[in-house]
Amino acid sequence: MTKIRVVSVFPDLLGTYGDSGNALVVSKRLALRGFEITLVEANLQSGVPADGDFYLIGGGEDGPQARAAELLSIDRLVEQAMARGAAVLAVCAGFQIMGTSFLGPNLQPRNGIGIFDCVTHRSEGPRSVGELIVEPASDLGKMPLLTGYENHQGVTELLEGARPLGKVLVGNGNNYGTKVDGAIQGRAIGTYMHGPVFARNPGLCDFFISLVLGPLEPIDDPELTVAHERLYSERIELVTK
Amino acid sequence: MENSRLNPRLRIAMVVARLASWIVRGLRIGEGAALPGRVLLRIYPDAMKDLSQSLPTVLISGTNAKTTTTALCKEALSGSFGIVSNVTGANMEEGVAFSLISRESWTESKSLGVFEVDEAYLAVIGTRLDTKIIALLNLSRDQLDRVSETRMTSSKWRAFLGANPKIKVVANCDDPLVVYAAQGSSEVLWVSAGLNFRQDARSCPICGGEIEFSDSGWMCGCGFTRPTPDVTIEGRIVVVAGTAIGVELQLPGQCNVANAAIALGIAYLLDVDLHSAARRMSRLAEVAGRYKRVSVDGHSVRLLLSKNPAGWLEVFDMVGDDPSVVVGINSRIADGRDPSWLWDVPFESLKGKEVIAAGERAWDLSVRLHYADVAHRVIKDPLGAIQACHGDAITFVGNYTSFQDLRKALDGSETPILNSVRRLGEWIVR
Ligand SMILES: [Zn+2]
Repeated sequence: MTKIRVVSVFPDLLGTYGDSGNALVVSKRLALRGFEITLVEANLQSGVPADGDFYLIGGGEDGPQARAAELLSIDRLVEQAMARGAAVLAVCAGFQIMGTSFLGPNLQPRNGIGIFDCVTHRSEGPRSVGELIVEPASDLGKMPLLTGYENHQGVTELLEGARPLGKVLVGNGNNYGTKVDGAIQGRAIGTYMHGPVFARNPGLCDFFISLVLGPLEPIDDPELTVAHERLYSERIELVTK
Repeated sequence: MENSRLNPRLRIAMVVARLASWIVRGLRIGEGAALPGRVLLRIYPDAMKDLSQSLPTVLISGTNAKTTTTALCKEALSGSFGIVSNVTGANMEEGVAFSLISRESWTESKSLGVFEVDEAYLAVIGTRLDTKIIALLNLSRDQLDRVSETRMTSSKWRAFLGANPKIKVVANCDDPLVVYAAQGSSEVLWVSAGLNFRQDARSCPICGGEIEFSDSGWMCGCGFTRPTPDVTIEGRIVVVAGTAIGVELQLPGQCNVANAAIALGIAYLLDVDLHSAARRMSRLAEVAGRYKRVSVDGHSVRLLLSKNPAGWLEVFDMVGDDPSVVVGINSRIADGRDPSWLWDVPFESLKGKEVIAAGERAWDLSVRLHYADVAHRVIKDPLGAIQACHGDAITFVGNYTSFQDLRKALDGSETPILNSVRRLGEWIVR
């Protein structure tokens, strides 16, 4: 069996909210199913490899965000990898730069990587901070409610090609008005949910993996399953009570 | 100024605040400074300014080690000054204001304020007090739902120091975000205090490029580079402007030698004898309940507080040979509501120890530990978790409220009546 390459993209620039945990969760859930894994930390020094199967990028501050966008747009390796069948998870600031355009430092609009058809502005209202609960879109198949923690000032407007990841039940997500969170477009998933999102929602992680590898066996690790279930039910209970 | 010459309204406010503090501590609903401080400022809004007249002041700020460094500094300077301080960790406006009412000496020569200050409040408090020296320790991710991000904090510090050129600065030259802030000032004593957690320091605050770290420092292509330190550390020797000072602390870990080096830097600027400052610091065995070992059902338990990834790297240095580790994680307002940061902590290094996940967010920690391949149990009650350990030496690490919960549980011995009065008190305060 060939090795699966999981790439954590610029955790040194965009990894402020524990989002680099997503790459660890993907890797371990693949390993538990018997896949051979290489977890690649693509930092400023090493650059981003072109031959990954899964690319994961997280949230961070304005300056590092703009820098990451700049670097990713030079060789456009993530887009090329996607064209060859790789999947992308982009969270918060990472989601914004993977869109059509976003706001850089000093609120100057900048071109994004364009994996998602979406435009990010800045909210005039208060920062969106708090628990986020999302009813997954039907594209995701049968899946329980998603939970995460949002912390951003961005307002992301989805354009034609991008479909929402789900409907916001608690919190703000992309926008105060439209009540949706994130985006799904081809094999790319974007969201405002930290947590990290795959640790909070292992079902979403498995869906993400299956975008590349097709249907998966369930994981046989009862203790891990219990921990996930307890964490999940506490989060859901807290905000629906 | 004599105490008796204070504004009558201020004197009334002080009495009411003292009373509030007595109630808060009696009912054990807090450390007794934040709420009474709020009462004080509500009755007399200028309290901080009036009470700090002729009180030269040192402020200590940063993401981690504020409380410990303040305690070390207080110890180091106590031979030369009558110190007014806030070592309970109440480090916003109301906490500092309240600690000022315990000031005993109102003469200029011998009194000194030494306050730890929340990183977001440095400018506000620095302006209100007669600030002579500011020590800047470090900046890294912490409670991102509450405090603005690190780069923003660094810029605000820089602007404040630029606008107040008379304030001297003692700053950690190993942290680029601290250096960026401190360079707002023209008079800086640079201390090579180390930087374990570099994740927030990799991109340059000036040009956005990559900062390269090496054994001898760090630099960016744009020319932003580590300043030459005035204070350096070699094991347990701190060299201050050419003078070597032996530092033998009771507080564990190399990180505390670095905190002591900052305190020595402050002592140096105040012309305090450095050898006697070091001797005084060696007397310190605990700081607000932290670091000390307590006995629980025959276990020897060291109590540590750690609330973010940078702090955790220091914890791993202090766990040492203890075979058992209990980790308590809560996510109340004081802790930050979002414990995502657990994924930035390399818990993998606890492998092989007996580990118990405790606290209100024990299941978040449990999931994290599973993915780190660390075998563990979940027992939410911190005291119950300690009692369930097999090892005779245990390190307990809690984030803020989890640590306080355990201290309350260890104090124990609450009668049912006091307990219900306390609940009533908590309800009123809420
Ligand atoms: Zn630079």
